[in-house]
Amino acid sequence: MTASTTGRLEATTKARASQPRTRATAPRWRYTVLVSVVSVILLIPVFVTVVLAFQPQLQSTSHSAFTLANFSYVFSQTEVLTWLRNSLIVTLATVLVAVIIAAPAGYVLSRSRSKAVSGYALLLFVAQSFPQIVSVVPLFVLFAHFNLDDNLLGLAIVFVSMTISVATWMMAAYFDTIPVALEEAAWIDGCSLFGGFLRIVLRNSLPGVLSTAIFAFLLAWGDFLIAVVFLRSDTNFTLPIGLQTFFSANNTEWGYVMAVSVVVMVPPILVFGVLHRYFSIGGIGGSLAGH
Amino acid sequence: MAKTNGNFRDLAADPGPDVPEDARSKVNGIQARSSSVLSGLSRARRGVGLGGRSVPSARPSRRLPSRSITLALLVIPSVVLVAVIYGYPAIYAAFQSLHNGNLVDAGQYVGLQNFQADLHNPAFWQAVQFTIIFCVVGVFGSWIVGLALALLLRQKMHAPGFFKTLLLLPWIVPVVVTATAWRWLVATPTSLVPHIAQDLGLGQLLFLDSPGLAKIIVCVYKVWLSFPFMMLMASAALAGVDESLYEAARVDGASSWQQFRLITMPMIARSTYISWVLMFIFCIGDFQSIYLLTGGGPVQSTNTFVVLAYETVFSNFQTGPGIAIGFLMMLVSVLVAVILYGRIRKVAIS
Repeated sequence: MTASTTGRLEATTKARASQPRTRATAPRWRYTVLVSVVSVILLIPVFVTVVLAFQPQLQSTSHSAFTLANFSYVFSQTEVLTWLRNSLIVTLATVLVAVIIAAPAGYVLSRSRSKAVSGYALLLFVAQSFPQIVSVVPLFVLFAHFNLDDNLLGLAIVFVSMTISVATWMMAAYFDTIPVALEEAAWIDGCSLFGGFLRIVLRNSLPGVLSTAIFAFLLAWGDFLIAVVFLRSDTNFTLPIGLQTFFSANNTEWGYVMAVSVVVMVPPILVFGVLHRYFSIGGIGGSLAGH
Repeated sequence: MAKTNGNFRDLAADPGPDVPEDARSKVNGIQARSSSVLSGLSRARRGVGLGGRSVPSARPSRRLPSRSITLALLVIPSVVLVAVIYGYPAIYAAFQSLHNGNLVDAGQYVGLQNFQADLHNPAFWQAVQFTIIFCVVGVFGSWIVGLALALLLRQKMHAPGFFKTLLLLPWIVPVVVTATAWRWLVATPTSLVPHIAQDLGLGQLLFLDSPGLAKIIVCVYKVWLSFPFMMLMASAALAGVDESLYEAARVDGASSWQQFRLITMPMIARSTYISWVLMFIFCIGDFQSIYLLTGGGPVQSTNTFVVLAYETVFSNFQTGPGIAIGFLMMLVSVLVAVILYGRIRKVAIS
């Protein structure tokens, strides 16, 4: 083989190799840039919260663009740590109980086709469409009888009931992906229905459980309506009520307000950042359509 | 579909003695056809997309006598919870809406006076009107944005997973935080949006002080809050569309718009309808995003049913009329929800 033919061969292979690559990479970059621009525009409200929280107040003498003064102020001058603790307690309790109640219910929804279960599915749907504003006043009166008003336990009970429909659909959607044959094999080996659910289905459903837990976390963490009606004393405030109260009292001190805002939004972002690959809510469509 | 297929395959491999012959042939038939384009479309018409349910497999031949009891025990905690947390308030609201009591005292029976007071209140009809606008814009606005983003994220790009997670932020960050940020953005004269408006020659716009502008801002805010949910629903539905359909269409020379209109839309129709219904329920009962952004103002222009009910009870201390509003709203939303729910199964798009 002469040098010129080798050169020509190399040239053609290079051309062949590079052609599809340019064809694939150019639009790839174009779409990446497009999505980046769209994301930045859509997320401006989130960015401004962070930027304002780390910027000095207008009247401050500091000229640097970055400061932690807002945070040191709100941590020392407000009850924000107490609110953070309250929010964590009530949210974690909600997540735990919501999963414990929704998992078995979702199993029934996924596996049974009886009339009673269809009725139950409809009940869940009605519960989801029930306006919270209607339940909040009667529940406040009811819970006051048991000293559960202005109380984190009472709040958690209502939160669990708010999450229960979607949580059950999410669990059912995940259980739908687990082949029934697995349980049937266990039943033949003498396992009870409940045993099969616990040892075969639930044990293989960690992503579904985490997904449901994330949903319950976001809902309980962000609730405002129930908490604003139920909680009266500021040592019982959750973060959203704390932020709203603080904002009403200091509505021009944007640096402080945004510092509290950052404290409110960091935990859900952390939870989602760590666990996002387990999160899937799209399946509830199939779960709903089946009944 | 992959999920459901898994089940079919299990059954087809070992159908067991008690699977009737016709069911078995049906299973094999579906499996044989599952690769064809036609069956993909017909599955879509029946609404079996990704996340569709597994086919109820043959029940164990000896019906376990305790099966029903166990199933009942598994749902009882949630039934009790729903009964107490929703059933009790429904009865209470029905009772209190006919009385002139307050939060502590039941009061006297007044018949339909509370309802009459509401129906003669102009603010009530204003709230009805804005509730409808809010729901329509909330549902379809967030659907369009969510679907567009879901389609965009399916294109070849770097780190699509990262962007998909990033774009969920409006839904993950608590409403109380984003409402505060939006108030800063649109209502502070020195901030971004008023600046842009001024540069465009619109003068100094007071976004949350003018009834018309406040309505627009509230609707845009709701779309912004909700598009991530719609994006997730659309992504899941799009992932279930059979790629071979697009290949076949491309071979036939279909443009991307034709592919979208004739393949994508029909294939995700069922899932789209379900996401509309869910978003409608989320919108009609939404209190916090409006209350935290505008408090229902200015001059009650952004009051929806829910905000009006809250204001009537907790700010005007008119418990009876307020609860009557809530009760009416409960009737409407539950009725609409049940009708829409019934249609989820029946809706057939051809």
